[in-house]
Amino acid sequence: MFAYLVRRILAVIPVMAVVVTVVFLLIHLIPGDPVSVMLGPDATPTQIEATRRSLGLDRPIHSQLLGFYGRVLRGDLGQSYFLDRPVVTAIVERAEPTLMLMACALLVAVVIGVPSGIVAAAHRGSAWDRVLMLGSLLGVCIPGFWLSLNFIYLFAVRLGWLPAAGYASVLTDPMSAVRYMVLPAFSLGFNQSALIARISRSCMLEALQQDYVRTARAKGLPNRAVTYVHAFRNALVPVVTVIGVTTAVLIGGAVVTEIVFNIPGLGRLVISAILRRDYPVVQGVVLVTAATYVLINLIVDVLYAFIDPRIRYD
Amino acid sequence: MACRAYGLRLLTVFAMAAVLVVGAPPADAQKKGGVLRVGNLGEPPALDAHWTTASITETLTNHIYEGLYSLDAGNKPIPMLAESHTVSKDGLTYTFKLRQGVKFHNGKEMSSEDVVASLNRWGKQSNYGKSLFAQVAELRAVDKYTVEMKLKEKSAIVLISLAVPNNFGAIYPKEIAEKFPPETKVTEYVGTGPYKLVEWKPDQYIRMVRFDDYKSRSEKPNGYGGGKTAWLDEIRWVPVPEVATRVAQVETGELDFADDLNLDAYDRLKASTGARPIISKPYYWLVAVFNKKEGLMTNEKLRQAWQAAIDIEPIMKNVAGGRAEFYRMDNSLAPVEITAWHTKLAGLPWNEHNRDKAKRLLQEAGYKKEPIRFMTTQEYKWMYDFALLSKQQLEDAGFNIDLQVVDWATLVKRRNNSKEYDVFTTGMGAFYDPTHHIYLTNSWPGWTSDESILKLQAELARETDPKKRMALWEQQTRQFYEKVPVIRYGDLFGLRAARNTVKGFNEATERIRFYNVWLEK
Repeated sequence: MFAYLVRRILAVIPVMAVVVTVVFLLIHLIPGDPVSVMLGPDATPTQIEATRRSLGLDRPIHSQLLGFYGRVLRGDLGQSYFLDRPVVTAIVERAEPTLMLMACALLVAVVIGVPSGIVAAAHRGSAWDRVLMLGSLLGVCIPGFWLSLNFIYLFAVRLGWLPAAGYASVLTDPMSAVRYMVLPAFSLGFNQSALIARISRSCMLEALQQDYVRTARAKGLPNRAVTYVHAFRNALVPVVTVIGVTTAVLIGGAVVTEIVFNIPGLGRLVISAILRRDYPVVQGVVLVTAATYVLINLIVDVLYAFIDPRIRYD
Repeated sequence: MACRAYGLRLLTVFAMAAVLVVGAPPADAQKKGGVLRVGNLGEPPALDAHWTTASITETLTNHIYEGLYSLDAGNKPIPMLAESHTVSKDGLTYTFKLRQGVKFHNGKEMSSEDVVASLNRWGKQSNYGKSLFAQVAELRAVDKYTVEMKLKEKSAIVLISLAVPNNFGAIYPKEIAEKFPPETKVTEYVGTGPYKLVEWKPDQYIRMVRFDDYKSRSEKPNGYGGGKTAWLDEIRWVPVPEVATRVAQVETGELDFADDLNLDAYDRLKASTGARPIISKPYYWLVAVFNKKEGLMTNEKLRQAWQAAIDIEPIMKNVAGGRAEFYRMDNSLAPVEITAWHTKLAGLPWNEHNRDKAKRLLQEAGYKKEPIRFMTTQEYKWMYDFALLSKQQLEDAGFNIDLQVVDWATLVKRRNNSKEYDVFTTGMGAFYDPTHHIYLTNSWPGWTSDESILKLQAELARETDPKKRMALWEQQTRQFYEKVPVIRYGDLFGLRAARNTVKGFNEATERIRFYNVWLEK
């Protein structure tokens, strides 16, 4: 067990080394220059050169990369060109909105997705089933940004029920935080709920055909108890896996949602950083996101080993 | 909106109480108080006016800082921090009297040493500063309120250079101007303007509050200058990168003002009960800039062929979303709004859409359908649209255009490298003096190095008689259409929107300013 753990943890090191290198090269090798963006459209080449020197961008790329390795090892992600603060500070500031958005969207996805899947499966072939599955088909097909813009138009501009965009921290102003979060959480969560609904339905259908369900029915248990107690609990395992996958997908979707709803999260940070070629910020955010993925994978692997001894291989 | 903080309600209560005490104001009377929330498209790269030409920096810094001069409603220089100036008989010495009792946001009184330190810094970094300081022999403080500028040669651009609002000669306290070398952006923001910066949270907001000790000029507001009153308690600049969201937020009242909107929002805003559209003029004239350092477009005939081939009106109409309100057909290099330099010359080879002439010029140029690399971006929809339409028209006339669509950051990088392109798209904003037209210089991408053009530019910089300058400028305009350093398309206008509660906004200036603006709530 111990050897397995050590092996898994050591395997993380080359993965992170590759991530650090690829991230650095990707952003530096695409054309574009932070200095031209910073100095504005009318800047002259001489001015641009002077500022490039002061930022260290005139050094050869391999020497910049070596410097980057050294700083990352010391836990220093550098200083943003635009934001006048260390990258680490910028990331910490932006983490809360993104985490909140993802948590709320996940909640929406699960609360809509799981019950609709179960209801559809329990009443297979009924009008309910058709309506819910048509709804989930739409959910899969509709692009997130289109849904977001239409939500804004309907609920904010036309009806005036909710603010169109913005963010309030749940720590300082919980009431506003909820009002700001409703539309983004629904736009982001709705797409994912569709996937969850379809998986829930098929898992549920499979579970409903199992022998123990027939036995339960034969025992004379009410239909409700058979569906929601016996079948549902057994159908839940793959659904939970899908919810896990959904969380990862949400990180990507959150970028678009943050832009449309003007939420100052990590997604917006990285997009604006890419557009203005704020290299340290792009590198920092991608690195932290990748590290989070790797860490979650590590935890899952370790958990598997605890749950299922066969996975330890030794 | 119910989502608004209690603070605002409290403020309203106070404001109402104040009204009760002082008596009801007459309709449309200015009112102190309130927070104006302005949505713009992004973050400024710096709040250092000397450092960047980015227009968002211009807009923000003009609320915090002031220069010695400013522009009036006709875009001519008028004094701002300067009281007056005199010029010696030989035209080589300018003596500026400063206004007394003007305070910086840190409480210090502005004096000549601040002016000298700031302008010296500006003269090393800003485009306008550098072109002026190329003519300056010495800048020195004579006494606390007098600054003297000695010139190497007679100059026509002293006042206008000190007055341009972009990349402008903002006066900082001496300590700050000297602490930050020109190539490093200032990160301590202390000016003499009607608003002072209190908080900058990137991607969330920039907050400016009224500077209570602001000393206004006694004149009426005039263009960018004149008297300035900070009626608002606070201006909150909110970056909202998604343009559709900016429109929605000004409709719902979450924003009081939104800048840089897509033209297709015009109808929606016109129909809105709470907000109104504002057309901003001049915005840009669309331009295709030729690489004249190397490659195909060094051939003057080829450039003339391009100029002869294009039919500008349908291009402009398309770019403006089919609306006549948003474009203007004009061949003057300075827009109508710059009254001093707008030209009305007949017989220029502009918008000829003469395909035969184009074909003849192509033949004379010895052009053999080599691909011409035309660089544009989709980040600014109007650039992409006019590039695409130009490509079609040009290919009909016999050109072979290789349209390269890249992101804006890539475009501004590549355009500095003469090996990487033949033509690129951009827009030309308002230039307040003939010598400020960057595409007529050798230092800006595209590299106009034609000797006769540069010679006229140099003459324009030296000649001080307004009438002679105008004659030179007309000559330069004719020369422009003959040498074709760039292609001038039509004028495109911008769209912004304000809530109906926003009063006193000057719609005539190109860039937004919120001094003298108040909220009617």
